[in-house]
Amino acid sequence: MKAAVLIQRWYRQYAARMEMRRRYTWNIFQSMEYADLQDQIKLYNFLGYLMDNFTPSSSERNLISHIFRDNEVCRDAEWERYFNYTNIDVPEIYSGPRLTFPLDMDQAADLVEAFKNKQQLHSRYVLQLLLETWKLLRVLPNINRVSTCHSKEITICGDLHGQLEDLLLIFYKNGMPSLEKPYVFNGDYVDRGKDSIEILLILFAFLLVFPGDVYLNRGNHEDHIINLRRRSLESKRYGFTKEVLNKYKLHGKRILKLLQKIFSWLPLVTVIDQRVLIVHGGISDTTDLALIARIDRHRYVSALRPPKRKTPSRTNVYADSERYDEMIICKNRRGSLTFPKPFGARESFQRRSLQDFSSTVARTLEEEFEVRRRQAEFSMSRFSKSHRSLSSTLSSDSEPESSELIDTGNDEWKQILDLLWSDPMPQDGCIPNEVRGGGCYWGPDVTEDFLNRHNLQLIIRSHECKQDGYEFCHNRKVLTLFSASNYYEVGSNRGAFVRLGPDLVPYFFPYQATSMTRGLSFPQNVKRTEHTALKVLREQLFVHKSDLLRAFQEIDKENTGLICLNDWASAIERVLHLDLPWRVLHPQLVSSTTEGKLDYQGWFRDLALKKPSSEHIEQTMLETLYRHRSTLETIFRIVDTDNSGLITFEDFRQTLKLLSAYLKKEISDEVINELVISTDTNNDGSIDIDEFMEAFRLVDKSRLKRGKSLLKLMQDNESLPQVTETPQIVYSTAPQTSHCPASQPADPPASNTTDSACLQTANTPASQTADSPGSLTEGCPASQMEDLCHITVVVVPPQ
Amino acid sequence: MAGEFSADQIEDFKEAFGLFDRVGDSKVAFNQVADIMRALGQNPTNKDVKKILGDPSADDMANKRIDFEAFLPMLKTVDVIQKGTYDDYVEGLRVFDKEGNGTVMGAELRIVLSTLGEKMTEPEIDSLMQGQEDENGSVHYEAFVKHILSV
Repeated sequence: MKAAVLIQRWYRQYAARMEMRRRYTWNIFQSMEYADLQDQIKLYNFLGYLMDNFTPSSSERNLISHIFRDNEVCRDAEWERYFNYTNIDVPEIYSGPRLTFPLDMDQAADLVEAFKNKQQLHSRYVLQLLLETWKLLRVLPNINRVSTCHSKEITICGDLHGQLEDLLLIFYKNGMPSLEKPYVFNGDYVDRGKDSIEILLILFAFLLVFPGDVYLNRGNHEDHIINLRRRSLESKRYGFTKEVLNKYKLHGKRILKLLQKIFSWLPLVTVIDQRVLIVHGGISDTTDLALIARIDRHRYVSALRPPKRKTPSRTNVYADSERYDEMIICKNRRGSLTFPKPFGARESFQRRSLQDFSSTVARTLEEEFEVRRRQAEFSMSRFSKSHRSLSSTLSSDSEPESSELIDTGNDEWKQILDLLWSDPMPQDGCIPNEVRGGGCYWGPDVTEDFLNRHNLQLIIRSHECKQDGYEFCHNRKVLTLFSASNYYEVGSNRGAFVRLGPDLVPYFFPYQATSMTRGLSFPQNVKRTEHTALKVLREQLFVHKSDLLRAFQEIDKENTGLICLNDWASAIERVLHLDLPWRVLHPQLVSSTTEGKLDYQGWFRDLALKKPSSEHIEQTMLETLYRHRSTLETIFRIVDTDNSGLITFEDFRQTLKLLSAYLKKEISDEVINELVISTDTNNDGSIDIDEFMEAFRLVDKSRLKRGKSLLKLMQDNESLPQVTETPQIVYSTAPQTSHCPASQPADPPASNTTDSACLQTANTPASQTADSPGSLTEGCPASQMEDLCHITVVVVPPQ
Repeated sequence: MAGEFSADQIEDFKEAFGLFDRVGDSKVAFNQVADIMRALGQNPTNKDVKKILGDPSADDMANKRIDFEAFLPMLKTVDVIQKGTYDDYVEGLRVFDKEGNGTVMGAELRIVLSTLGEKMTEPEIDSLMQGQEDENGSVHYEAFVKHILSV
């Protein structure tokens, strides 16, 4: 008996500890997600900066016009011609589904089956399907209206994010859409998962077969610029654009263009029985369904491109390369129109949101940065659910009236952004959502008001990942529904779908796609998830190394190199604003402490960084580039208009130059040249975007050790630069041949930290040249690739 | 099992406490208290915790909340309770070792865990026993205890 009790007690303790680990892992992922969103904001800011401050030199103008190139606005007939699929032949050997239109139920079911068997739909049918979908969507209203008459239960699904497994699971548990089984899908069908296009095709197919029983809402990811981004959480996961281009090499571009249109034509919200609102993001205090019903939703193609305005006197920003002059006029005029309140009072509280690209005229970039930082603080502390800092921030500035700052001409734009991007918050009120860069945080009072005004009783939304797949808030008046299980990592969360009958009481069906979790126990799941989370966290720490170091040194006035745990934790929190339990995490992040004090320099080394000695400048610069890699990559992809994966030297150079000006950090020509040379492995004057981005893969020490042994083998064969000799972050100046880059650093690095892996770039010498024996990329299982991705970026120290 | 907690320790506890606060009011529900204590290295039984909380009703357990200042002294009280040592566990399990060969029947252990003391549920037991039983369904309990104490 005693033993039983002992074991039970032990077990419960074990379970509790697991739970705690699970929780902080979850927190890490959420924080990372928000850090990721910060990247998005950086992108907006950068684009906004470009629009405001472009210089008229012709070469740059070209680049900028590239970036802001508008969709070719064609008339419908032209579009039809462009997307003509009839001349695409389907080869005999094609074994996938062959669709005939109009589609019927069996074909839709076959399509599902085909995708389940990993088949791919031929591009001819894809285009045809998309065309038909587009035709249908164009006649749909902004607000879908559904009713649960005839005792039909309506099934509602949240974010799917390209995770086909989850959709299949839902269909398996709940049955496929049909006349008796209506479905509402609440947006975010693409990005992150690897089967985004398949999900779209399935949903569109069912939409075509059962137009009265399948309802699709638009999510914030139904947006082609968002699709361009690669998620930083998992560097191997590509955005939707990449997925389509990979799967449809020949016709991918056309497919994407057509999807751009389709996304903009997706309805915005769905209302059930005039009682329940289903929308992807949420609402704000200005959301007005009557207004929403009237707008031309298809003009709002991307969150990043406010719609063109016909008259320059409207206080909106142009995103049109041919109208720079008008832009300037508009900007100048805006100075008076945009800010009704006294400038000074608002200045500190201004933000650049998606609605308002152009910064205040007077503000310098540095102030901008300060505001950014404060906003990040603001949003992060809000996110910590401690309202104290929130209210103090607010009270020191003016009241948070989100609508005040928004240009009056931007009403419709704002309405849509609010619908697709907003998040609920526990406190009353409605404040702009800086974390996401668009939409609002709205409180229970706003919900109450909104429901009353529109005679509704419940809001069902998605947009946020929830542990159990769903979560109520605002007195059970708002339900968040998320249908992508294992979203952050295997085992991280469940997904759920909801059924509503005529009584409008939601019934929940949580699930978890198990093919990956099969065989893993709960603790193993936790450990795995934890591992990923910590990896991501370390990356973040690395990126902020300079700031952290400064913070530590501020505390460590005597320069002992040691810092006590408390100070360590609070310094990190001050710099990163992630609101994570650092003390709890410290055993995972810090290998050893002596007498409760931590050697922070050593710690940085452990994190795979080098000493900040004379190479400080380059380190910061690399950090900078690393921090903005997401922005860089997105810009590259936008510039890469033919989606070839390559951009020219010139564009590359100019992008970096622009970034340099924007950040007020010097990125010298020399450095740019070196970067260019080091990444142009085809030697044809163009740069492979992927390769360049591979450069920013962080290698951590333990994996480096594993990789080093392999690398050693290669080095013996090819006299590659010895990893051990080049712990600095440097740029290789030699052309990438199979022989080692000629310029070994002139002086071996002062530090003898042989083990410190640094920010190393992909080892192109070995992998690119055909005749290199046992090249790194061949025969390496995917997981090892990461380990072996290092070029030592070798700097020629300033002569 | 020190008498007082150090300032550092209290900081640690506070952080962990915050992790369990799902609502954002810097408090946790009564029914979470036991788990938090365990996460922080204590080993109370559910009964112990209930007593410390003042024997709340089921409703209280679900709805009442407690902040860190009130929680800390409870943690101190629990700290005094003996934690099991390796020998305690092994001794206890040896009782079931019918053949005296260092193994117990997994099935028997399961029954015991689910019927005696503070009963465990089946999923809990499954999770605990995963990978511990050999082909005959026996558990080598010394290894088992080592496993338990090592995670």
